Amino acid sequence: MKTAFSIAAFGERGWLARFEGFPDDVASGLFANAVADRLRAGEGVTDAVAGVDSVALRFDPARLDADDARAMFEEAVKKTPRRRPAAVTKTIEIPVCYGGVYGSDFDSLCAHLNLDADELIGLHAQPRYRVITLGFAPGFAYLGGLDPRLDVPRLETPRAQVEAGSVGIAGAMAGVYSLASPGGWRIIGRTPISLFDAGAKSPFVLEPGAEIRFSPIPESEFQKRRKETR
Amino acid sequence: MTIARIVKPGLQTTVQDAGREGFRHLGVPRSGAADRMSLALANALVGNPWNAAALECTLKGPTLTFERPCVFALSGADMRASLKGKAVSNYARHEAKAGDELALGSAAVGARTYVAFAGGVAGDEFLGSISTYLPARLGGVRGRALRVKDALEIAGLETTAPVDMPASLRPVLAHDWVLRAVRGPDFEWFGGGAARAFFSAPFAADKRGDRMGLRLVGPPVAADGAASMKSGPVFPGTLQAPSDGAPFLLLADAQTAGGYPRIAQVIDADLHLAGQIRPGDRIWFREISTAEARDVAAKKQALIASFIPGFRLG
Repeated sequence: MKTAFSIAAFGERGWLARFEGFPDDVASGLFANAVADRLRAGEGVTDAVAGVDSVALRFDPARLDADDARAMFEEAVKKTPRRRPAAVTKTIEIPVCYGGVYGSDFDSLCAHLNLDADELIGLHAQPRYRVITLGFAPGFAYLGGLDPRLDVPRLETPRAQVEAGSVGIAGAMAGVYSLASPGGWRIIGRTPISLFDAGAKSPFVLEPGAEIRFSPIPESEFQKRRKETR
Repeated sequence: MTIARIVKPGLQTTVQDAGREGFRHLGVPRSGAADRMSLALANALVGNPWNAAALECTLKGPTLTFERPCVFALSGADMRASLKGKAVSNYARHEAKAGDELALGSAAVGARTYVAFAGGVAGDEFLGSISTYLPARLGGVRGRALRVKDALEIAGLETTAPVDMPASLRPVLAHDWVLRAVRGPDFEWFGGGAARAFFSAPFAADKRGDRMGLRLVGPPVAADGAASMKSGPVFPGTLQAPSDGAPFLLLADAQTAGGYPRIAQVIDADLHLAGQIRPGDRIWFREISTAEARDVAAKKQALIASFIPGFRLG
């Protein structure tokens, strides 16, 4: 595959590399994660964070010169293999109650996309997704593999409050809000399971490379599972 | 060890240190004091390490009763604090006895006051920091803001001789702010008009502001094709512009990734001031080059670290 990258300044102690030419978000996102993993242990690196088609490197200027940081970044991008993402690390099933009070954008999306409720649920629950990268909030995963028919833009104005467990789509991606937070994704349902628990031994349920399956559940099941996880 | 008990919690009082750095790839924000400079100044006055945990009080401060003798100091916004009914000033050491009541009022200028206690405040640790991150209910006192009857525990950190910083290093609080910023990685997405407006017109801080970020209302700042951007990393200080044209200035609890174009990045040397912006305040962004920003950061960092060893600006 023919890929290219560019590096630009991101604040006075950061650089942003952007990637082009990958076949899809899963490929670019997992490549971005591999680059970030490679950088993270570097002397003077304070953060190496992957996006869907980009990586940000932040450094401590007292320990790492800006130009050296850029050179280190360029080398990491060049050295990271551009192969199709490796095998699935684990598979996680996420039950979802679609529509109604749990999916505030469900009805408007059906109307906008000219789908009935079952068609929308089918399109969303059918594919196997891959975790492209973690970000936005603790435990929030960007999922690649969304049916292109569900590629819708983010809300023009983000909502002040999206409930924890909300299942959303935006910009050709699926995601689950691990925490109640502001957010601009279109919300179609909610899961009763928790994706982040600060008190747990491993606080993060999802990891880059994991495979995700959504399974539709009725509201009674949602209520039951919700009680169990509390 | 309990040194005090909360009588009135204030509007939003949380335990904050300098935050947890290096976990953004897991989606974990930095958190920590919204105004790092004020945190460092209060800690220095009581002889704490600069990044020890203190109370961050928002707009309206708490009232607490000491149960043991304690040395404390206040910094940041002036909340007209009193100890046993007698006014106590910011940027000075104060000694409290068991039974004394410390009462903070409301800030008229600036948004946040820091109360540092000799020995540092104790709290729940997550990834090496006890900073409270309210959305995930982690850190501090059970991951939440202080409530009535909460006990204030002291971490028992070793203290050194107090450092009295020059008054010139204290943040100057006002209702008008000029924050220096460099162009963000998506600056080119914005048309010339929007870009010019961004660096010249004032913005007003919306009511929708918290430790995560401030929503700014001013001339519309929207990028072409912004709705199709792929999610990418953001940091405290990043200015993101959703397609409705009202940019967000991200603060200490900034999410780790966002999908809106990043028009600018407030420089580290000025970012702590953004933690003092109140709803309704006016903000101008002044563009400087990345090279200038590095120079400013290095000078400010060296100056502060000459008083407070180990201090880090950003």
